[in-house]
Amino acid sequence: MAHRWGMTVDLDRCTGCGACVTACHAENNIAVVGDAQAAKSRAMHWIRVERYWEGDFPDVRLKFRPVMCQQCDAAPCEPVCPTYASHHTEEGLNAQVYNRCIGTRYCANACPYNVRFFDFYNPQWPKPLHLQLNPDVSVREVGVMEKCTFCVQRISAAEIDAKAEKRELKDGEITPACVQSCSAKALVFGDLNDPESEVSRLSRSTRGAKLLEELGTLPKVTYLARQTQV
Amino acid sequence: MIRAVSRASVVVCTLLAAACGTNPTQQVSPAVYSPAHRTAADAAREFFNIRSKAEQPIPFPHKTHIAKKAVCTDCHESVEKGPIAGIPSVKTCMICHSQIATDKPLIKEVTAYADKGVEIPWQRVYGFTHESHVRFNHAPHIRAKVDCAACHGDLAQQTVAERSVDHTMGFCVNCHTAKKAPNDCLTCHY
Repeated sequence: MAHRWGMTVDLDRCTGCGACVTACHAENNIAVVGDAQAAKSRAMHWIRVERYWEGDFPDVRLKFRPVMCQQCDAAPCEPVCPTYASHHTEEGLNAQVYNRCIGTRYCANACPYNVRFFDFYNPQWPKPLHLQLNPDVSVREVGVMEKCTFCVQRISAAEIDAKAEKRELKDGEITPACVQSCSAKALVFGDLNDPESEVSRLSRSTRGAKLLEELGTLPKVTYLARQTQV
Repeated sequence: MIRAVSRASVVVCTLLAAACGTNPTQQVSPAVYSPAHRTAADAAREFFNIRSKAEQPIPFPHKTHIAKKAVCTDCHESVEKGPIAGIPSVKTCMICHSQIATDKPLIKEVTAYADKGVEIPWQRVYGFTHESHVRFNHAPHIRAKVDCAACHGDLAQQTVAERSVDHTMGFCVNCHTAKKAPNDCLTCHY
């Protein structure tokens, strides 16, 4: 049976440390655009930690919510793409093919989660910092759209390894950079088609909810609501 | 007429320069790595897939080695293990050539590199351009019993390796279709 990759985010566990954001930048060669561009809302973070203050001082409570591409099953970004750069794979990922992208930015406008980013300029790394770039991931150039891929390079590598060893993929074998770096283990990644996998078990939880579920985008990321009162 | 042509060429050059897409607040210098094309001519060459021929420091004869029953994996060691086949180190050459044909002038050049402890600056012959956004992995292809010659031509007929097969997307997709290998974009492009 084909895989269907999904993720759960336990909001009870997230401490808002931002390790996922840093790990994602390092893994996926995401450019840092600088303050002038960031002021124009052009900062690129494939995963971000949203911060919400609740209540009035001094009785305030802080809540965090990591948001990445929700890899929707009915993704609004896909039908609007004139070049099929944004399309659905058999494993249920929202693929972004940089070669096809002509930079219309329709997908970013259609996405209700604001997780697609446009390269307004060519990214730059002062040498020798370019040696840190991950060779398994493209360095995107000006004029293309980019977004979270669920670390497809790691999925692909694990699938190749499993095939070489003539075995099935094990649950927990694939960890995207954000999941790997999450010290609180708030993020869990796995195969939703495997009912025994941890991500399936967690996404069936009664605490589970999807972001903007009412839009009918059928996201594959489940958020587990907070229970504890801090 | 000449004026019209020169005016048109200025427009084209401006457009190409704009297409290079450099942030005006940042300077492009050799101290900075960027996927941008250095010049408009570079961009044009890449667009039309025009690539210069690899100039090797020593004319390595593949033909001679294959005739002596050496196989590809003897020197390109990591091809079965990982994504990159690997250009062999001078130490690999010396495994045989510390004993064999040591009096030949070219072998003396190789020995000189080895004695200095410097790698021979071989030029890469194949490989995808940056903008093709291709992530290629040799190992699964070897395991699927794809012959080296299928993509690299018959090296038994070549002295210095040449780019005898054009690695276009059509070339890859045709073989993937024939062998029922995955043809999704994300198989190679990410």
